[in-house]
Amino acid sequence: MTRASAITIDGRRIANRIVGSEFFVLCLCGVAFTVFAPFTPGFASPENLGNILVGCLPLLLLATGQTLVLITGGIDLSVTASVGLSSVVGALVMGGDAGWLRGSPAAMPVAIVAMLATGAFVGFFNGACIAWLRMPAFMVTLTTTMFFSGFAIWLAKQVVNAESIYNLPAAFLALGHRAWLAALLAVLATVFAHLLLARTLLGRWLYAVGHNPRTSFISGVPVAGVTVGAYVLSGMFAAMASILLTARLETGSPNHGKALLLDVIGAAVIGGTSLFGGKGKVLWTVYGVLFLSLLGNGLNLLNLSDFLITIIKGGVILVAALLDVWRTKLVRGS
Amino acid sequence: MTTPSASNEQRAINDEPIVSFAAIERSFFGVKVLKGVSFEVGAGRVVGLVGENGAGKSTLMNLLGGVLQPDAGQLRANGRPYAPKNPNDARAVGIAFVHQELNLFPNLSIAENLFLTDFPLIGGGAPWIDRSALLARATALLHQVGLVHGPETLVERLPPGERQLVEIAKALGADARVIILDEPTTSLSSRECERLFALMRQLRERGIAMIYISHALGDVLRICDDLVVLRDGERVGGGEAKEFTHDRLVSLMVGRQLNQLYPERRASRQVGSDQAAKQAPEKSAAPRLAVRSLSQPGIVRDISFDLAAGEVLGISGLLGAGRSELARILFGLDPCVSGEVRLEGRRLDGGPRRRIERGLAFLTEDRRQEGLCMEASIADNIALVTLSAHGRTPARWLDFTGIKSAVSRMREAVRLSPKATDAQAVRTLSGGNQQKVVLGKWLLAEPKVLILDEPTRGIDVGAKFEIYQLIHQLADRGAGVLVISSEIEELIGICDRILVMRQGEITGEFRCDEFDREKILGAALHSSRA
Amino acid sequence: MSAPNSKPFLRLLDFAPVALFAAVLLVFGLMSDKFLTVANLLQVLVQASSTAVVATGMTFVLLTAGVDLSVGAIMFVGAGLAGKMALGGQPLPLCLLVMLGVGLLGGAVNALLVTRLKLVAFIATLATLYIGRGTGRWITQTRAMNLPDSFLALGSAKWLGVPLPLWIAGAVILVAQLVLTHTPFGRQLYALGNNAEAAKKAGLRTTRLLASVYILSGLCAGIGGILALSQLGSVSPKFGELYEFDAITAAVLGGTSLFGGRGKVFPGTVLGAVLLKSIFNGLVIVQADPYLYPLITSAIIFLAVLIDGLRCRLIDRMERRKVFGS
Repeated sequence: MTRASAITIDGRRIANRIVGSEFFVLCLCGVAFTVFAPFTPGFASPENLGNILVGCLPLLLLATGQTLVLITGGIDLSVTASVGLSSVVGALVMGGDAGWLRGSPAAMPVAIVAMLATGAFVGFFNGACIAWLRMPAFMVTLTTTMFFSGFAIWLAKQVVNAESIYNLPAAFLALGHRAWLAALLAVLATVFAHLLLARTLLGRWLYAVGHNPRTSFISGVPVAGVTVGAYVLSGMFAAMASILLTARLETGSPNHGKALLLDVIGAAVIGGTSLFGGKGKVLWTVYGVLFLSLLGNGLNLLNLSDFLITIIKGGVILVAALLDVWRTKLVRGS
Repeated sequence: MTTPSASNEQRAINDEPIVSFAAIERSFFGVKVLKGVSFEVGAGRVVGLVGENGAGKSTLMNLLGGVLQPDAGQLRANGRPYAPKNPNDARAVGIAFVHQELNLFPNLSIAENLFLTDFPLIGGGAPWIDRSALLARATALLHQVGLVHGPETLVERLPPGERQLVEIAKALGADARVIILDEPTTSLSSRECERLFALMRQLRERGIAMIYISHALGDVLRICDDLVVLRDGERVGGGEAKEFTHDRLVSLMVGRQLNQLYPERRASRQVGSDQAAKQAPEKSAAPRLAVRSLSQPGIVRDISFDLAAGEVLGISGLLGAGRSELARILFGLDPCVSGEVRLEGRRLDGGPRRRIERGLAFLTEDRRQEGLCMEASIADNIALVTLSAHGRTPARWLDFTGIKSAVSRMREAVRLSPKATDAQAVRTLSGGNQQKVVLGKWLLAEPKVLILDEPTRGIDVGAKFEIYQLIHQLADRGAGVLVISSEIEELIGICDRILVMRQGEITGEFRCDEFDREKILGAALHSSRA
Repeated sequence: MSAPNSKPFLRLLDFAPVALFAAVLLVFGLMSDKFLTVANLLQVLVQASSTAVVATGMTFVLLTAGVDLSVGAIMFVGAGLAGKMALGGQPLPLCLLVMLGVGLLGGAVNALLVTRLKLVAFIATLATLYIGRGTGRWITQTRAMNLPDSFLALGSAKWLGVPLPLWIAGAVILVAQLVLTHTPFGRQLYALGNNAEAAKKAGLRTTRLLASVYILSGLCAGIGGILALSQLGSVSPKFGELYEFDAITAAVLGGTSLFGGRGKVFPGTVLGAVLLKSIFNGLVIVQADPYLYPLITSAIIFLAVLIDGLRCRLIDRMERRKVFGS
């Protein structure tokens, strides 16, 4: 064997190892960073990087919740509706003008509990339809998206006669102003999801249900309960994302997070979570979120027009999906 | 059995074999799986191809079907060299497959399935299906295989045996000269098997050659004219089927003298099952499992029996007699309107989860769909049932070292192939090893009662023996074991007592000193109690 | 025991989509005497025509267990391009041809991604959705365009008293229905959707089949775009948005399975599309609070999906094998 071919084979082996590894998407993040840094003014500044990290927190929460659902072989399109409805409900509880508990010291804690409960309720409804009535997840969550986001708008209109609700208590807005507080909340929630998946009984059950619900049921896994649990958790993560968005934008609005749906699923799938269930990790999703956020921010700073950013995002999803096909082939081949 | 004279004449007229393999070799990733295999298939002959899993049978058939290409050696078809590149090449020379997993589309009609790749079209080059021609041709084919259904019946409405016949009709429709039947009888009742064999004899009369692949050696000896035995990719024996006996076939297949197909049963068996109960390590007044007047309309009628500790109880009967349905009711998967089931004297209720906690375990008939998570790892599959023991509430941390040691203990106990790693996907294992994983999963839960539905279907001889041993070990530890099987010999070989079911009722009960193949079969076919 | 009396019940459930449809028509008819008029019902059909055509293409894709999320984006690109050309003085037929061309091209890209590059349909068409939306906004410069009157004239033209869009949609649906039921291609699609692995083994040209459904779906999106343009007369940056969801919903309402192998264009998908639009039309006519539109629409869709699920479970239970006759 000649030297040259030995080197190319070696190069290929290294490339394969990178593509096949768990940290592949993290490497992609590194690539995106090094590509953007020299060309994009202000991209690598600590301030901007901080912005990226804080900015991606709602997406992180949504995608983490989505990962739990995807692992069971389902899909939750209703997360954005949960965000909007929680936002309206929270604001209606504590809002300055017409809020139920306006001015009361209990306003913020009660509002947060109400928001989480709203998310949990939407999730429970989805899960119940899917697990007990055996309706297809895609259709259930598609219709509940329509219903609950329509309901959020209707609710806001009924109560305050406007879509947005302002004058939220300062204590709540602090969540938006103090980045570390928001980051702490999101990171804690993500770590919780990671531990849940990797270390607990419920985590194993989520994977088992995703692999084969019939086998799982016969093996004593409470399949319906696990499924409902996944959707409830997804709804609650959406509510947490809603808390962060509502605080940062200082308004309760049914439209928060509406544009995020495809990013949410995209981040999870780019990270490597399968749409067919049984495969996925919270850490992968974190990488996927980081990657999408780096990309979005870098493209924004390049002063590209909005349409070019959209096109590039589509291209990136394609490339990531292609690389995933390659990765699966490698893993299967070895 | 005598070879029909017609096919002998056929052979005399046309001595050229229809298909021949000469010194075929094939490797995967540097491992030789076929080492110079040669044999030929003559017109009007049924050639039985036997060997353990991994002997190279399916590789050989994939070469014939154009799915794979040989590394060395030559295939010939109809007297000409034959090097198929894809399944269509195989079809073109008249080779048709009837697979174990049927390749029919249940959402389409019988006629559409028969002519899926070459629909009769309305003349003039328009791609419109000529319905009347389609139906006429389909009806003719169905008549040939003896099916009475209308050609527009959806395949999903047919029982498995009739679907098998549709597959054969499909092969006939494609003017097949060679039909390869790969484990065609695994999901057939014995009556359906007889129908299939009768059809095969008819086809043989017409000069059609067949390659018959099966683990059911009794059937192979009965239906085949010639035999080819493969072991580790080599042809280790072959010739006319009458020169072989069951035992000789088995010893050729496994490469050593196999003294027994079934493990020695412990002494208690001779004394009878009541004695076995008394000798069991754990003494209890109530039987392990007591079933009383279990009924479900259309499924089972007034089923009552006891299963003692340490007993291996077989349930025999034809496919469709309600055996699997009974097992599913016992495990809480299907409902029943009346009757009750008691485990150690306490009533069993609820779904699988509650019953597993009480000590019930159920190895299902359908390994792929209900027994395993095919894409998950060996370790995850083995640990699945007992996970909750390692973390009582859903949120509790799992004890991973505990799980790991339990898995490796169980791997050893069921003698899972040591080549497989814990993290390997179950999908990559052979049928026998997959079944050991399912068994290991349940044994880890240390069940008080284990129900096994067709535990050795599609598994090679060596693995079968090991599974029998595991069943006996479990019974010796005091568990009650309920074995459902279509193979009467198997039940006679491993059970202490056999119940026979027919049309949802128990129609016969045999103690081990009364075991008799004919009587059991008689009870399965028509009531023997009367 | 329940077998004899649940048979007619089952037959009734078979008509559940139709019954739901009739109920909706009836309720709106009772609430307003303007709803159940020939003119208005014709109006509903015209409104439903573009969704029905796009959903027809979607049905082909869904039959193979795939999905095409990019149809709305394809409509947008085609409409943007055609609008630009029309405003630049190009003749109408050329503009329409370009829309069809864009549809074919978009479909071909999807086909390439799904068959050659082996991407999951959901992801591949999600990506082309983004790319298409971006391209469309680039073409239109994210501004609304008012098109020449010739487009609107197309929408209001009549032949034999029936509006032209209905003729077009009717032709598409008829051809699709014939292709699915009376050609080898159509029947093979059902086989592919039922079991792709077995279809390959059976010698079907699965790659070609799969590629053609995406191209057909793209083409239908092009035709649907023309029909939508002929009613709106303008291209806004939101043109075609959420059409993918409408199309999937219409198909699923009509009984098409998301898991492949089951579904019909007629009456299924067409009925679904008309149901969707008649709800909308009815809500407008009875002057319902516009904020309630999504609530009512989604509730009806939910009901339809629920009924369909119950029906499948019931059929499942009834067809479970009986060991002996009771």
